[in-house]
Amino acid sequence: MPPSSLPSTSAGAAENPWFSWDYVTQNAAILWQRASEHALITVEAVAIAAAIAIPLGLLAVRVRWLAAPLLSATAVLYTIPSLALFAILAPLMGIGRPPVLLGLVIYALLVILRNTVTGLDGVDPAAVDAARGLGLGRIQVLVRVQLPNALPSIVAGLRLATVTSVALVTVGVVVGYGGLGQIMFQGFRNNFYRAEIMTATLACVLLALVLDLVLWAAGRAMTPWLRGRAA
Amino acid sequence: MSRLLATHRSRRRAAVLPAVVGLAALLAACGDPGSAGGGSPEPEETGGMTAAATCDPVPDKELVVLEDDQKLQTVDNIIPAVNADLAESSPEVITLLDSVSAALDTDTLIGLNRAVDVERRTSEEVAQEFVETAGLEASDPSAGEGTSVAIGSADFAESATLGTIYGKVLESAGYDVTVTTIGNREAYLPALVDGAQVQVVPEYVGTLTEFLNKQANGADAEAVASSDLDATVTELTTLGEDTGLAFGEPSPAQDQNAFAVTKAFAEEHGVTTLSELAEMCGGLVLGGPPECTERPFCQPGLEDTYGLDFAEFRSLDAGGPLTKSALQNGEITLGLVFSSDGALSTSG
Amino acid sequence: MTPRTGVVDDALVYLNDPLTWTEPGGVLDLTREHLALTAAAVAIAAVLALPVGAWLGHSGRGAGVVVWLTNATRALPTLGVIFLLAAGGLFGNAATVVAAALFAIPVLLVNTYEGVRGALPSARDAARGLGMSDVGILALVEMPLATGLVGAGIRTAVVQVAATVPLAALAGGGGLGQIIAFGMGTQRYGQVLAGGILVAALCLLLDGLLALAQHFLTPRALRAGANSGVTSR
Repeated sequence: MPPSSLPSTSAGAAENPWFSWDYVTQNAAILWQRASEHALITVEAVAIAAAIAIPLGLLAVRVRWLAAPLLSATAVLYTIPSLALFAILAPLMGIGRPPVLLGLVIYALLVILRNTVTGLDGVDPAAVDAARGLGLGRIQVLVRVQLPNALPSIVAGLRLATVTSVALVTVGVVVGYGGLGQIMFQGFRNNFYRAEIMTATLACVLLALVLDLVLWAAGRAMTPWLRGRAA
Repeated sequence: MSRLLATHRSRRRAAVLPAVVGLAALLAACGDPGSAGGGSPEPEETGGMTAAATCDPVPDKELVVLEDDQKLQTVDNIIPAVNADLAESSPEVITLLDSVSAALDTDTLIGLNRAVDVERRTSEEVAQEFVETAGLEASDPSAGEGTSVAIGSADFAESATLGTIYGKVLESAGYDVTVTTIGNREAYLPALVDGAQVQVVPEYVGTLTEFLNKQANGADAEAVASSDLDATVTELTTLGEDTGLAFGEPSPAQDQNAFAVTKAFAEEHGVTTLSELAEMCGGLVLGGPPECTERPFCQPGLEDTYGLDFAEFRSLDAGGPLTKSALQNGEITLGLVFSSDGALSTSG
Repeated sequence: MTPRTGVVDDALVYLNDPLTWTEPGGVLDLTREHLALTAAAVAIAAVLALPVGAWLGHSGRGAGVVVWLTNATRALPTLGVIFLLAAGGLFGNAATVVAAALFAIPVLLVNTYEGVRGALPSARDAARGLGMSDVGILALVEMPLATGLVGAGIRTAVVQVAATVPLAALAGGGGLGQIIAFGMGTQRYGQVLAGGILVAALCLLLDGLLALAQHFLTPRALRAGANSGVTSR
């Protein structure tokens, strides 16, 4: 039964500030939980994509005619909007974490593959010659000369993939796994709770920056020879 | 930075062509019109009746629910949904949750929602306060020793608050409780049925019955939920048995679909029920969730049961802030809201 | 769990039903709406970004800002922006256009900046030697030379905006995203799948068409250069 007398909205609502520390302190636990889910799925996706894309990139450089089809296939997938991709994967895979993870991997593939290929291509031919001259086999040249030289480009690709993945995870809310996106959506539904939406959005950007920084530092650590010059 | 501008036009062109050809082949086999089952979303003229004069929307801050005097809406009383295995091994869980059901009524629910949605307090705080005030702590604090229960809720405030209340009551009986916000029904229901991650969820009688019905019998299945609470609960129990779900007692508290206009509009045209609206006004603009054009409780039901005449439908959200804002701004005449919305004032 | 074997069949039935396309509010209407929203957003973004990018590129200042802006917006979650706009009182198609334009601005800005910046210094010198004014150099020398990258930027922006529009359906916006939202709401997962396919197809189609347009509109002299040129660093 609907309420017996005519209900009406009460005009005096509590103020709805765009940001509130109270919100953050009261909801720290759930914010942290969602942020962890968010970070973990991003890292997992980029790791899987790298595990696929870097070897594919090495392959594409050795077997030249593969490069163009591989790059265009991943480019086509990259053009598909995230909502559409999740909408396609979820009915087939069930909703929740799996379609989001797969979608993230697909998007990260292009970026990492493209950067791996261009990085490997951009290695100084003189360095390759010198290595050959020293008697190194083709695989050894690949692993000991070309790969290290391509590292800056690969790391740049990993950074780009990570940052875009962090933003993409939020779209996963439509298929039941959106990390901080869940909190954004909740804030939207719960009477436009501005502080909630804003906090989740800022947390998302912050997470992207932190992960980017970590990868940048890791990249610097792996390429000590570049530290002297402006990389 | 130049990598941002990489152009691999020729490569991409090569890939797009097969994609376009593939899509064309997919559609080459044209099916019969209407085979997808979708009807025209355009509102139809109600046969026979002369349509009443068009009433324009009237912007106003205050909203008023029009009474569903023809009982179009299904009952959506709160009911605890429990994984069947847990219900069997720990029947006290259901007894405890039933005490929560008994303590809630629609006005109380509105009050709880107002505390969270309008006063911006946390579900945790509000739930704690409610459990203490209503004296819902268990009499036997060791009944649940050694058993862990995971409560899940949907991602909106009311569900989270209810789930937290359930959690506190079970905790006071010694259970080891976790409460998690999961997502929408498609996300948490399989987990509830499975029972490994979630064993208790606060649910709504009518909506869940129809959800299970469609899951079992297809999206076009005949509706089995109705405005008769007992009949619907019986249907729900049967559907639940087939799926692996057990239920507690339905609460007097309800959160069901309701249709609202602005207070100024209601006063201007002197309407308090949906039947009166149908008599007084035509050419209405309806606002609701995208699926409203199809749901029997929504546009089709309003047209068939009440003979309401709609000039336009605006796809917004289900009882959410978009629909309420659209009503307040005078963009729509009639909007779908929820009867336990915190913004509605309680009966004096 | 919903039966998944029938989902693909449902999607195909949905797509093959002519009524799905032709009914009022059906696929054709939604596609028109989608394209209109895309055009509006790109137009707004272009009006804002192209002049600024061109001037920055010409004067050579602001490289740091441009780079930072691009990186920052890549990290910004689209849904967050859409919900924030809604919470600020802007929803429906207006919010869709604003949010989409917001994300298109950095793309157009960067590409215009790079395009103008990359104009051959010798051409710029020659123009200055001829006594051309700043605006003249910009309009008659740098912009024509920048068409390749500006064109690439417009293409990326259009596809990106077309991809952003469906998200706004979650906040009351229009376009093909409505099909996905409808399917989710009525538990018709075949429709969700069909909606996803339609959105993807539209974006791929736009990308392909613009690629062709870009190829034919780039002056021949620049075509060879653009094809081999900017890859990565």
